[in-house]
Amino acid sequence: MNQLRITQLEKKFGERKKEENPAFSLKPVHLTIEEGEFFSLLGPSGCGKTTLLKLLAGLEQADDGEVWVGEANITNVPSEARNFAMVFQQPLLFPHMNVEDNIAFGLKMKRVKRAERIERALEMLGHVGLKGYGKRFPNELSGGQQQRAALARALVSDPRILLMDEPFSALDPSLREEMRDLLSRIHQEFGTTIIFVTHDREEAFHLSDRIGVMSDGELVQVAEAKELYEKPASAQVAAFLGLKNILKGSMEAGNFIMENSSLQVAVAGQGEPSMTHMVIHPEKLQLSTDLMEQPTTEEIFFEGTVKQLRFNHGFYLCIVQTENIELECSISSRQAEAVSIGEKVKLSVHLKDLHFISQ
Amino acid sequence: MMKKNHLPAKIFLFLFLLMFIFLPFIPLVLTSFSYNWIWPNVMPESFSLSAWDYVLFENSSTWQAIGVSLLIAFIVTAVNIILAVPAANAFVRYPLRGKWLFEAIIFAPIVIPPFVAVMGIHLTFLRIGLTETIFGVVLAHISPTLPYVVRAAITSYSTLSVDWENQARMLGAGPFSRFYHVVLPHLMPGIAAGASLSILISLSQYLITFIIGSGQVMTLPILLFPFISGGDPAIASSYSLLFAGMAIVALLILDLALKRYYKKKQAAAAIKGVRE
Repeated sequence: MNQLRITQLEKKFGERKKEENPAFSLKPVHLTIEEGEFFSLLGPSGCGKTTLLKLLAGLEQADDGEVWVGEANITNVPSEARNFAMVFQQPLLFPHMNVEDNIAFGLKMKRVKRAERIERALEMLGHVGLKGYGKRFPNELSGGQQQRAALARALVSDPRILLMDEPFSALDPSLREEMRDLLSRIHQEFGTTIIFVTHDREEAFHLSDRIGVMSDGELVQVAEAKELYEKPASAQVAAFLGLKNILKGSMEAGNFIMENSSLQVAVAGQGEPSMTHMVIHPEKLQLSTDLMEQPTTEEIFFEGTVKQLRFNHGFYLCIVQTENIELECSISSRQAEAVSIGEKVKLSVHLKDLHFISQ
Repeated sequence: MMKKNHLPAKIFLFLFLLMFIFLPFIPLVLTSFSYNWIWPNVMPESFSLSAWDYVLFENSSTWQAIGVSLLIAFIVTAVNIILAVPAANAFVRYPLRGKWLFEAIIFAPIVIPPFVAVMGIHLTFLRIGLTETIFGVVLAHISPTLPYVVRAAITSYSTLSVDWENQARMLGAGPFSRFYHVVLPHLMPGIAAGASLSILISLSQYLITFIIGSGQVMTLPILLFPFISGGDPAIASSYSLLFAGMAIVALLILDLALKRYYKKKQAAAAIKGVRE
């Protein structure tokens, strides 16, 4: 098994990065990535995800910790001998070589014979949808084509792990989606372990088997996309993931008391005194115009007026102003026809759908 | 619209080239073919090939001087490139304490007249027996030429992002392969520019060659100088033209070598590809 194991990997930047970030450091990272897994590192810019990637690539030296692939400790192996591949944000195709030679470069470094390496390069060109572009030079390709060629160049020498540093962030949105699908397909075809750095939540959710969320040089949560969305580990993660309805409050004797609201929620079983936020997913809120309805013991109610209705990819986001807080709930277009702005409504949510987190 | 704007500029450039580069050659050419051209005659009284005959055939040291000049210029330039590329790498890539001091030392010969240093160098070379040798002259020529090559290499290096080398590393390229396949092609135009300057400056050195070579290392300027300062003006003109020809040929050789290099790197095909 060739899993990638990262133990207590750490990096501190002293004086050198002073202008950018006074005391940036990558706090010890402990992580295991399975062979063939698609793992994303997600986080805002400057959170250390690229630094972590460069440490894995060997382009930066770690201050502490180890990197293992299978049974081999590669912490001190130079980048060129790790048999990893990397796709950068820029395609970085060598301008003085044609596409074919660019793709074959890795094989040339491995002293593969010319005929064989051109054959393998051409085959790889087909995989990334660039058949017939081999004789062209990089400046004759569009940005998307260049990044495809860069992907082919990284894959051709059959790397143990493919590292990708925001490879699609310089492309325009429609192209980005196309590249996403291509990468998905290629990952299934080749089964390469991929570590993918991005600040784009959608990209990470779409592609990944697991996602590691990073913030301020720390890996704060590692989980599958669904779990990450439903159960973010902290308010910070929830906010970065763009979750709605993150409500502040505090725990008192097994009850969650909301700030700016008279509402109290009995937290069954999972009450911890450190919990400070409650997350309600918009799709878990039930909107009803029947104000007479009585709450069951499994539900809580919010009363308020519809403030705004916003169309959003086939469904509506309904923004409801309750006492002191605004709540967002998603409703179908049929439901949206039944409510109008300014109308009094009730929002109900099952207690089991509430998610409590600490700061 | 664009063409109209370009035309006056083109005419101006043409006149400029004509006045400052082409015209000065006319009296030189005339003098070299003249016999007894004295004031106040506008044109020489009679023409003769005697000066050219002397320069090209009678005086056997002419061809030797050209050979020595070119040999020194190319060795100096080769040494300069070998010194300048690592120096530029260090200047651009590494945070260095007192970097300005190193830069000041390397660039000093541009500002300070080189013979100031050469007087000292001469004494040292006398002691270790390097005067009157081609090797000594080569060493002395390095100080006025190195700054230009370093300058050009620094400019090239500073436009080369470390990402390119990182990318090559991730594709399995070791230090030598990275330099040969990625760094060198990028540096080449800069190196060629620096090398051209280095060749020209080395070719036209008179004082340094004269002092260190003590008249034993015969380069073309050494041969030419006595004729300019009071000798036969016809012979001096012939030598001057020969000197200009030698410099132009040296640059053409360099240009040809560069083009061959690019052809090997298939960049020539790239340019063709774009045009097609």
